[in-house]
Order: sequence, then structure tokens, then C-alpha cells
Amino acid sequence: MVDVIQNVIFGFQVALQPINLIYCFFGVLIGTLVGVLPGLGPPAAIALLLPATFKVAPVSAIIMLAGIYYGAMYGGSTTSILVNIPGEAASVVTCLDGYKMARKGRAGPALGIAAFSSFIAGTFAVIALTLVGPFLAGIALKFGPPEYFSLMIVGITVLTYLSSGSMIKSLMMAAVGLILGGIGMDVISGKYRFTYGFQVLADGVGLVPAVMGLFGISEVLENLETEIKREILTAKVKNLLPTLKDWADSIWAIIRGTILGFFLGIIPGGGAIVASFASYAIEKKVSKHPEEFGKGAIAGVAGPESANNAAAGGSFIPLLTLGIPANAVMAIFLGALMIHGLQPGPLLMKQAPDLFWGTIVSMYIGNGMLLVLNLPLIPLWVMVLRVPYYLLYPLIILFCLIGAYSIGNNAGDVIIMLIFGIVGYLMRKFRYDGAPMVLALVLGPMLEEALRQSLILSRGNFSIFVSRPISLGFLVVAVLLLIVPIITQRKKLSILKE
Amino acid sequence: MGKADRISGSFWFIFSVMVSIESYRLGLGTLHQPGPGFLFFWAGIFLGILSVVVIIRTWGSKKAGEPEISIFGGQNMTKVVLVLISLFLYALLMEKIGFIIITLLLFVFLLGVIEKKRWFFAIFVSISVTVIAYLIFEVWLRSQLPKGLLGFLRL
Repeated sequence: MVDVIQNVIFGFQVALQPINLIYCFFGVLIGTLVGVLPGLGPPAAIALLLPATFKVAPVSAIIMLAGIYYGAMYGGSTTSILVNIPGEAASVVTCLDGYKMARKGRAGPALGIAAFSSFIAGTFAVIALTLVGPFLAGIALKFGPPEYFSLMIVGITVLTYLSSGSMIKSLMMAAVGLILGGIGMDVISGKYRFTYGFQVLADGVGLVPAVMGLFGISEVLENLETEIKREILTAKVKNLLPTLKDWADSIWAIIRGTILGFFLGIIPGGGAIVASFASYAIEKKVSKHPEEFGKGAIAGVAGPESANNAAAGGSFIPLLTLGIPANAVMAIFLGALMIHGLQPGPLLMKQAPDLFWGTIVSMYIGNGMLLVLNLPLIPLWVMVLRVPYYLLYPLIILFCLIGAYSIGNNAGDVIIMLIFGIVGYLMRKFRYDGAPMVLALVLGPMLEEALRQSLILSRGNFSIFVSRPISLGFLVVAVLLLIVPIITQRKKLSILKE
Repeated sequence: MGKADRISGSFWFIFSVMVSIESYRLGLGTLHQPGPGFLFFWAGIFLGILSVVVIIRTWGSKKAGEPEISIFGGQNMTKVVLVLISLFLYALLMEKIGFIIITLLLFVFLLGVIEKKRWFFAIFVSISVTVIAYLIFEVWLRSQLPKGLLGFLRL
């Protein structure tokens, strides 16, 4: 416990340095903006700003990027409530009751409870991260290549299990991501794989162009095709502070949402989006008045909003302690850490304590900033929403073009981004989910290395993955996740037939 | 999603066959020492099997009489294609022509031609955006954007 306190104090010393405070502030501000703007989600935004942080110290860079992520969770709720358009995917559920509350003239309390529940959940997640992080890193030190291999397999399986739409298609996208991750020079044999003489592919497909294409450009293309209709609530937003009754109605939703979200965040493959949906489902089930849900129940705003913020905080745990990204956003963080010369994993805490503790503590500060910032700035965000799309999308495109170019001052990366933009656009059309592809793209090289090292360790014996208990445990989970949907589908089919 | 799934399933099937052949050529190695193509060969096979499942499933949905959804039914397909062409041209020409001029051209095209805004407005916005982006990325963040034709100015 003394250790933890010392570490937190050290973290405060890092995070309170003026330069880091400024980056934290910019991070949460940009994050809120990203959350407010439909058509630009956290993955694309973080990928966009990553090249801009190359010249900055790693600690400041990661503090800012983290701020964007949890800031977006706050901002997303604002548009859900006021305009019925979720600014990012984790706020989709908030539309259901948040917008209805606004229609009834209760936009103020809806925005207020969203901000407060986000703050409570975010802070809880950071406290838990402080306590659980060192413990998990300790366990992870005992992991060898087979455990890492199996853990990554679980991560990919969980993501495909939880992702929207068909699980088969998600598994396919994971396989495609794995293959794309193999492009470039093979470190062990020195052979070039799938490069076909293109110099730009020699170092592999960059994560940043891939993410900006899949999540940025493709979304712009989709929006160009079907224009977004917006109906902005013109009524004045007042009474932001929820009343005592509002608190009584939502406090348990906040507590349940926070705990649920945090655990869904930790699990590789889980994340803010799933957490918000799960929380809404639970609140509706336990409520004494389930019929009010969808008509403006405050618990339907408080639960999901706390769940997505807790999940955002929780998802840092596997990345910072195991080096395994839990979702697409964390995959970009992994890339960011590696670009800044840091190896995420159990040793990160020892090798770069300033980064580890500085980032965690900056989240306490950032959550506080968001609470103070957000409520008074709501009129400003509503104004931002009035920026017409014909001005917005060229700007998003320009950011993507500059971002992709400045990773390596290479126009080839811009072309790769545009190709991923087309692929992502087609994937949206044909209902394939991009997140498993991104996760597998990042994990691919790590997975291959772990596989090869394990097989060298065991002299070509595959039983090494099942003879070690931790590795076996992970694989059992993965297999269960693959089997469960098949069984439940069979049941559904047989019920249908009857 | 019957027809759409047949198209996308077939695409991924062909893709997986190509990947597996290429990986086989790279060398699978032995189990003791997996070669550079090992993981990708099996990933390709896995993808191939799943894409066949996706195709087979469409037969079931056909019988069930699910309505076919048209995929490119949006009214603005030409807009999407034109924007994409302009972006590829941007990427191909940015190093030759330089950031300032090409960005100006892109914005004038997007606002003036695609969005059909008034020319004065389109040009005014394009110039402002280009100048601000240049100040942020080149001057402040030192991104080293390509100078191209304006290289002689030594900005």
C-alpha cells in the first residue's frame, strides 16, 4: 500500500508539470470535440494526432492521446442527448433516453447526469487501475511465449464475439488483419513477404494509415452518400444540476454501470461500446418501471454513460500491464508507445515509471477538467454542431491526408490510407466490422513471434500450449467463445422450427 | 444480405487462396522451425473456410425469402467516386506540386465543384484553410510537408 501511495505521489509530480497539464487539457478538449462531432470517432482522431506528437516527450504525448480517448466518451453523450446523433459509437444507447429527456425539456438534467456519471465512473476506473495494474504486471512477468500466444488468441476471439454483426465475418476480418500484419520483412528469415516490390510496404502496413482509412475516410465516404439529417434542439439548456430525485433514480445505475463497464473494459476484446449496451440492458431489466425506458428514463442515461467511461479507463489495464491492446483504440496506443520507443508490457512500469504513473494520474486530473469544462462549454459544443457537413468533411479529409503523410514524409502512406478508406467503405456496405482487423493487424507480428518462440521452446510440439495451465485456461475460454454462439444458434433454429 | 454476402464471400475466398499459395511459396518451414509463410498459410486456409461458410449461408436466406438489399443505392455515388479520384490525385501529385498549391486546388474542387458553393466563398475558405493548416503543421509542428513547385520560395 505504501508503494502505491508513493507511486501515486510520483505520478502527480509528473502529471502536474505545467507542460503535461497543458497537454492533458488539450487532450480532453480535443477529445470532447471529437466526441461531439459525428463522423470522427476516437480511433481515427487518435491516429490523426499521433504524428503531431512525434516531436513531443513520450509522457506528454501519451497523456494527451489518453485524454482524447476518455474525453470523447464525455463529448459523445452531448450530441446523443441534444441532437439524437451519437458523436461516437459508445454513446449510441444514450440517444434512446437522453434525447427523449431533451424533448421533454429535461436536456439540462440529462447532460448533467451524463457528465457526473462519467466523472464518477472515470475516477473509479482510474483508482482501480492504480490498484490492479501493479498486481497484474506482477503476474504477467511469469508469462512465457505460449501464455502470450494464448492470451492474444483470447483477445481476438473476445473481440469477434462481442463485435456487432456476424461473428463469422468478424473472425474473417481478424484473419485478414493477421495476414496484413505479415506484410513486410520477416525478422527471422529476412525474407520480404507480400510486398511485391513496393518499397512503401517493406516496413509493413502502417497502423496509422490503416486506422485513418478504415475509420476516418470510409466514414466520410459513407456520409457523403447518405447525407446526415440533423435536427438541433434550439431550446435553451438550463438546470444542468440534477435534482435529488434524479440522483436517487440514477445512483444505482451509476454504480452498476461503473463496475460492469470496468470489467468489460479489462477483458481483451471488450470495451466502451459493449459496456454501454450491456449496462442499458441490465438497467431496463432491474428497473421497477421498465416501461419508462426509451421514453426518457434518467437511469437509461446514467448507466450507459458510466459504463462507457469505466470501460475506457479499464481498457488501459491490459495494455499497460500485459502489452496486449484490448480494442482498436488501445491498438493505436500500442503503436504510439512503440513509435516513442517504449515496449508496452509488464516491464513498462519499471522501465518508464514516469510514463506509467504520470499517465494514470493525469487521468484523475483530466476527469476533473472534463467535469469543470463540459458543463459550461455545452453552448459552445452546440455551436460546433451547427458547422455544416460540407465544411466539416473536407477538414476531416485534410487532417487524414496530412496525418498519413507526416508519419514518414511519404506519399505512399497516403495511398495506403486511401486504399484502406475504400476497403473500409466496402466493409461497411457488406457489413464487416473493422475493429477485429485493426486489432489483428497490430497483434499479428507479436502473435507470430510468440508462436515461433513457443514452438522453438517445445521443439515443435504443439502440446506446449495446453500443457501449461495458464495458457490452457486462455485457450479454453477462446474455444468456449467460439462454441457458444453455434449452440445458441442451433437452439434458436430448433425453436423456430417448432 | 444474400447477394452481397455471395459477392463478398467470393472475394475473400479468392483472396484466401492467393494468400495461401503465396505463403506456401515463402516456405512453411517445419514445426520445429516454422518458416516465414507458416502462420499466413493457416490464416489463409481459415479465412477460406469461413468465406465458404458465408457463401453457403446465403442459400438458406434465399429460401427464407429475405429481401435483397441494394448495396450502392445511395443517390450520391458519383459524389463519392469524384471525391475519391480527387484524393488519389492529391496523393500522387502532392510531392511534385507541393502542399500549398495542391491543398488549395483540392479545397476549391471539393467546395466549388462537388458542393457547388459560390466561387467567392469556395476560394475564400480554401485559402484560409490552407494558410491555417500550413501554419499549424509546418510552422508549429514542423511536419515537413512537401514544398514542390514553391520550393524556390524557401518558406
